[in-house]
Amino acid sequence: MDYWNNYTETLPREKLNKIELSHFKNLFSYAKSHSPLYAEKLKGIEAKEIKTFDDIKKVPFTYKEELRKWQENVDPFPYGGLLGVPIEEVSTFRQTSGTTGRPVYVPETYESWQWRVEAWCHILWMAGFRPRHRVFLPFGYNVYVAFWEAHYAAEKVGCEVIPGGALDTKGRVNKIIELKVNAMTGTPTYILNIAQEAMGMGIDPKSFGIERILGAGEPLPEATRKRIEATYGCKMFDHIGSTETCGFAATCEAQNGLHIIEPFFIVELLDRETLSKEVAVGEQGVIVITPLGRRSFPVIRFNTNDVAIKGPSECECGRTSGKLMEIVGRVDDIRKIRGVLFSPKTVEQLVRSEFPEIVEYEIVLTRQDIMDQLTLRIELDPKVGSGEAGAVAGRLAERHKIKTNLSCKVKVEPVGSLPRYDLKAKRFKDVRGDH
Amino acid sequence: MDEIRDEIKNIEKSAERIKALAGDNHAISKNASIILTFTYLLRFDTPEVGE
Repeated sequence: MDYWNNYTETLPREKLNKIELSHFKNLFSYAKSHSPLYAEKLKGIEAKEIKTFDDIKKVPFTYKEELRKWQENVDPFPYGGLLGVPIEEVSTFRQTSGTTGRPVYVPETYESWQWRVEAWCHILWMAGFRPRHRVFLPFGYNVYVAFWEAHYAAEKVGCEVIPGGALDTKGRVNKIIELKVNAMTGTPTYILNIAQEAMGMGIDPKSFGIERILGAGEPLPEATRKRIEATYGCKMFDHIGSTETCGFAATCEAQNGLHIIEPFFIVELLDRETLSKEVAVGEQGVIVITPLGRRSFPVIRFNTNDVAIKGPSECECGRTSGKLMEIVGRVDDIRKIRGVLFSPKTVEQLVRSEFPEIVEYEIVLTRQDIMDQLTLRIELDPKVGSGEAGAVAGRLAERHKIKTNLSCKVKVEPVGSLPRYDLKAKRFKDVRGDH
Repeated sequence: MDEIRDEIKNIEKSAERIKALAGDNHAISKNASIILTFTYLLRFDTPEVGE
C-alpha cells in the first residue's frame, strides 16, 4: 500500500494516543502562554493535570462565538486575542465564510501554513493524486482558505497545478480540454455545474479524461459521489475541514469513510446530549477538533457543530487512524418540523440518487399560521418535456414523504432560475424567522 | 526512525548556527528560518512514542 507517511499512518492506536497526548500538552502550554484567549480560558488548569488521553476532556470546548468575541475590538487588529505569535510573523490572511455570522480572521505564519499544507498532502495522497496529475482548481482564489490549501499541497506532492480563477464555467471547460487536465478539486455542486455546462456545449465530460476529483467545501453524499463518478468516468474522493481547523479527514481508495489525519489532529466524536462521552462505532456524534501543531492560531477542542457517524479504525487500506463514516450535517441545519427531525442532506441524497433529471434544487422552510411548510423548488433538465414535469414533481413529493415522513410541496422552476454556487451551496433556506 | 530523528536534530543545530552567523543578512537568516519550519514538520512526521 502506498502512503504519504507510512510511519504515522500505520501506527497502532495506543501509540497514536500517546503521541497525540504529548502534542496536546505541548499545544496546551503554548496556547496558555501565547494566546490571550487561552490565557483566560485555561486559567485554573495546568498541563501537568493532563496525564491520560481521557484527561483531555477536562479542557473546555472552544466555540465559534468565542473566536468572534475575542477578535471584535481586541488588539492586535484584525486577529485580536486569538493570535498566538507576534503579528510581525503573520505571512498570510485567511477568513471564514461568515455563513453563520461575523467572519473569523485567521492568521497564518509561514510555519503554520506549511503545517496545514502537510496535513493536506495526506488528503491528496489518499485520494490518489500523484506527480503524473495535472490538477485544475476551478475557483477564484481569494480571502477564503479553500483551494489555497489544495494548490500548495498539490504542488508539494508533485502534481502540476493549474489555477482556474477568473474564468467563467464555459472558460473552465475549455481550459480543462485545452490543457488535458486529469485531476480536479471542487465543490460537488460546482463539479456537477461544470459537467452540465460541458453537456450544454455538446461535450461529454467523460471525454475530459479526468481520473480523480477531490470534493471540498460541502458534504458529499454517496449518491452525489456516484453521480459525479458516472458523469465524468472518474473516481471521486472527499475530505472535511474548516478554516479554523484545516482539513482533518479524508477518504482513501476504499471510499469507505473518512480517515482522520493522525497524529496531526485529535478528533473527538461526542454524544449530542451531554457532549461528554465518545460515541460508539456506528453512532452519531458532534465533531470536536484540536489541530495539534498550529502556533499562529491555537485552537483547542473546537466544537464544530457538525455531526458525523463514527467509523471503525480498521480499513482495507491498512491505515490505523480513526474514521468518520459519514457527515450527517451541521447541528444548525437539523430542524424539527411538525415533530420530525429533518436534515437537508436527506433531500440531496434523494435527488442525486433517484432523480437524474433534476439539475438544481432548493429547500425552503416557511410557516403558515402555526404550520411549518416545506417546499422543494426544482429545476429540470431542459430535455425533460413540459408534460413530464408534473409527473417528476409528484414522484419527488411521494418519495420525499417516504424518506423523511414529511410531506412537502414541489414547485418546478424555469431553467436557470435557481442560484448556482461555486463555493458552499446554500440550498436550504429556513425563513420562518423564529427558529 | 531514530537515525532520521538524529539527522533532524543535526539540521536544526546547523540552521540555528547559520541564523546566528547571518547577522544582518536577511536572505541567509530567512532561508535558515525556513529550514527550521521544515524540521518542525519533520518532527511531526517522525513523532516519538512517549512512555
